[in-house]
Amino acid sequence: MTASETDQQLVQRAQRGDLRAFDLLVLKYQGRIAALVSRYVSDPSEVEDVTQEAFIKAYRAIDKFRGDSAFYTWLYRIAANAAKNYLVSKRRRPGSDATIEDAEVGSQAALLADVGTPEAVAMGEELAAVVEDALSALPEELQAALTLREFEGLSYDDIAAVLDCPVGTVRSRIFRAREAIDERVKQQMSGESGFR
Amino acid sequence: MTTSDRELETLSAIMDGEADELELRRVLDSTSSDPALRARWRRQQMVRELLQTRRVSQPNIEVSSAVTEALAGGKSVYKNPLWSMAVAASVTMAVVLGGQQLLVPNNNAMQGSVISDVVGGVVPVLGAQPVQASLGAKSLPVAARQIDTADNERREVAAMYERLAQDRYRNLGRHHASAAAQTHPAPYISYIRAPAPTGQESALQ
Repeated sequence: MTASETDQQLVQRAQRGDLRAFDLLVLKYQGRIAALVSRYVSDPSEVEDVTQEAFIKAYRAIDKFRGDSAFYTWLYRIAANAAKNYLVSKRRRPGSDATIEDAEVGSQAALLADVGTPEAVAMGEELAAVVEDALSALPEELQAALTLREFEGLSYDDIAAVLDCPVGTVRSRIFRAREAIDERVKQQMSGESGFR
Repeated sequence: MTTSDRELETLSAIMDGEADELELRRVLDSTSSDPALRARWRRQQMVRELLQTRRVSQPNIEVSSAVTEALAGGKSVYKNPLWSMAVAASVTMAVVLGGQQLLVPNNNAMQGSVISDVVGGVVPVLGAQPVQASLGAKSLPVAARQIDTADNERREVAAMYERLAQDRYRNLGRHHASAAAQTHPAPYISYIRAPAPTGQESALQ
């Protein structure tokens, strides 16, 4: 199972009316969708409103999602339309060149393009430095497990084969690696005044 | 390993698509009541994005609570008041237009009532288009059924105006009596006389 299959698992639950599953999807994608919306709308409170509206529309239309594309691609289309409609309702001309191709799975350019405001970029760079430090400070076996997972995209079974250890150990090592990084990130974020 | 640690490990496995359905259900049960678990999930996603792209999109945005609240309660919580005002204005407009459709008499049904016998004159009639009378001062042929319908509607409108006038007299009387009772030194009779529309006198309390 891959991370996009996790999305599928959560989507299926949301389609059965499980709001908690949809909440995890919102938490996962709200930053990227807000960054996309901010390519159309500049006012931060408007960005928040349109982002919120996009997720509400997505939930109400979630029965129509058939899984032909990745969930994020589908969500991206809804958010882009919500932003364009918002501009039309405010009698402003949509000026963004955001296209649906930007959202296609595996497009690193899309991730790089949708980073949002300069403040968000600066905050992201600081966090990136913290994460990099935390990763390099990890014990070797934890670092290896997390690296194989995040950079190589290997499954737990494959990582277990590479590291020659049980799958349960891989799962535990990845968790402990994330735990250590999270401690540092949490500290950094609590120091950031703009972070909620 | 504590329960909380087990949940956090499961959360990590869910992120990688390595948790089973039962684990997912357990974590979903916990996330709805545990803000720390939700925050952890969010940070984990952010760390993944940072590791893979060295960037993070809008780390300061938080709409999940408002989205859940709107979906669970069926209402939308907008941060920008202009947008909610726009929505409210649209609803008001729809109500006003709908109300007008109900209150204004149907033009087709009122066709018979706009015919004037006054030579060269224009007769203003409520809810109707004015029509220039013919030079021969003769009524245009109008179907009897249409005239009946128009007469009925005219009577209903007249009755409605009469009710409104009586309500206004009544309110005026109350207001007058109340004002007089507060300002007049002597005991005051709390009624006024108002001409009844039908020609008979009535004392409205």
